[in-house]
Amino acid sequence: MSRSTDPISHNPTLRLDVHDVSVIYNNGHVALRDATFHLQSGTICALVGVNGSGKSTLFKAIMGFVTPTHGKVRIAGETVQAVQKKNWVAYVPQSEEVDWSFPVSVWDVVLMGRYGYMNFLRIPSAADKQIAAESLKRVGMYDYRQRQIGELSGGQKKRVFLARALAQHGRIILLDEPFTGVDAKTEEAIITLLRELRQEGHIVLVSTHNLGSVPEFCDQVVLINRTVLAYGPTREVFTEKNLSHAFGGVLRHFKIDHTDQPGKAKHEMVMISDDERPLFLDTDEENEKKG
Amino acid sequence: MNPLLAPFQYEFMIQALLVGALVGAVCAILSCFLVLKGWSLMGDAVSHAVLPGIVLAYLIGLPLAVGAFFSGLLCATATGFIKDHSRVKEDTAMGIVFTGLFAFGLVLFTKIETDVHLNHILFGSLLGISTEDMIQTAIVAGITLVVVLLWRKDLLLFCFDPGHARSIGLNTKRLYYILLSLLAATVVASLQAVGIILVIAMLITPGCTAYLLTDRFHHMLGIATGSAVLSCLSGVYISYFLNGSTAGCIVLFQSMLFVLAMIFAPKHGLLVQHFLKAEKSAS
Ligand SMILES: Nc1ncnc2c1ncn2[C@@H]1O[C@H](COP(=O)(O)OP(=O)(O)OP(=O)(O)O)[C@@H](O)[C@H]1O
Ligand SMILES: [Mg+2]
Repeated sequence: MSRSTDPISHNPTLRLDVHDVSVIYNNGHVALRDATFHLQSGTICALVGVNGSGKSTLFKAIMGFVTPTHGKVRIAGETVQAVQKKNWVAYVPQSEEVDWSFPVSVWDVVLMGRYGYMNFLRIPSAADKQIAAESLKRVGMYDYRQRQIGELSGGQKKRVFLARALAQHGRIILLDEPFTGVDAKTEEAIITLLRELRQEGHIVLVSTHNLGSVPEFCDQVVLINRTVLAYGPTREVFTEKNLSHAFGGVLRHFKIDHTDQPGKAKHEMVMISDDERPLFLDTDEENEKKG
Repeated sequence: MNPLLAPFQYEFMIQALLVGALVGAVCAILSCFLVLKGWSLMGDAVSHAVLPGIVLAYLIGLPLAVGAFFSGLLCATATGFIKDHSRVKEDTAMGIVFTGLFAFGLVLFTKIETDVHLNHILFGSLLGISTEDMIQTAIVAGITLVVVLLWRKDLLLFCFDPGHARSIGLNTKRLYYILLSLLAATVVASLQAVGIILVIAMLITPGCTAYLLTDRFHHMLGIATGSAVLSCLSGVYISYFLNGSTAGCIVLFQSMLFVLAMIFAPKHGLLVQHFLKAEKSAS
């Protein structure tokens, strides 16, 4: 792999600053108001909120797909437009956004990740092809490279677009609901890959309804409901109180009280579920932390 | 002389065959993008909207193609404006704009004396094309063809995943207008040959036929072009013997190819699907 295209080794101090961002769509709908948070290099951050809370909108703002009516997004201190030219922001779209009957193969899609490095005719160099192949191998999809993209399972589709993001050598990787329609094994594989990316110094931003796996692999959380309600380290932000606030009445909430557990006087657990994997919170631990 | 070779002794036939093949090829290439982008209606709209441009260009003394081109673009931009600034949906806005422009063109046409025949514009006149018009058509078609082919990867990415295109720094707004301008230019190039009413068939059918036959974009381009050129040549040739509408014959031939593809396509065809189902229920 050529050094010049390896972004991390050059600039270890990557930052994402979303400052007071408001987005109003043409129809007058205020999708985001004064959203603020900051992320540092080497992090996996979960973006959590109900449907329509503005997760995809926030992604669009970070990608420069919508222009904030107010506020600004800065990546390593630069504007989104400046950063796009460097291929720094890679985006893995929500499955519903992709036309799966499109006549392109897995290989074509992954090569699209290299377009930004190619000349105007987009003719891939040997290095481009090698990087595309490595990316596909990394997600375990190299053997499927000749398939038309519609001929894949839900999890395989996700991995192909992840491979495209890898091939792009983006420094900030945005994943819009990467776990919907994905089985536990693929989810593990994706999470392992995201951890590696964190290790390499990337900023990984994941929107998810999969509350249960957030504490497992996300070190930061941004809670969102048309604005940023709270952000920070998962342990501090991902609490029952904050989640109830973020989700209002939408969450399914179960209190499981098993006081008969040996060795403890009273042990209460709370199960919180959005729609996918539920989150278990040990309320005693919560109390201990507070106390 | 062999009566089957009779058409080839006339210069106007040779011209018609050449222009037809060129126009067919340009339309076919563009049709692949339109079909994948879901812009079929846009082709229809732009083709109707060129009418007032043609009359106005005649009035001012500009080349008709220039007027047609800009009035086609106006249609698309006006549609975008209405969509963004009202609650009207895009297809509805487009319907309003292009019928309005077309009607305006008709009124102008009946009020202003031109040496252009309305019939020729509506239905094309491939056999009666003047050398001057032929050169104009060839130039517009040639430029369009080169631009699409050079830009095809970016345009394809724009159709497939504009989000990704944006994230790697491509100017998607510019790509939108490039595709739109290419569409308008193609319509202009095809007007003489097939006319406003049937150009939409040239702009959809070849791409659709190819889409049924393959899962790869570069094959799609090839198949669409092949089927369109074959249709144009056959259409012109057959129309000589039928003494019927040339554009009609071309489009009819294309439709026939589409039906054949629909039935016999190796992967997405009706027959294969039928047999696959039968096989599954048997096993
Ligand atoms: N192009 C648009 N024009 C107008 N309103 C929009 C547009 N896109 C989204 N919205 C609105 O903005 C709000 C936020 O939408 P967004 O897609 O960001 O939600 P989300 O958090 O990603 O939801 P989900 O969990 O369903 O993916 C929604 O109320 C939506 O209706
Ligand atoms: Mg969303």
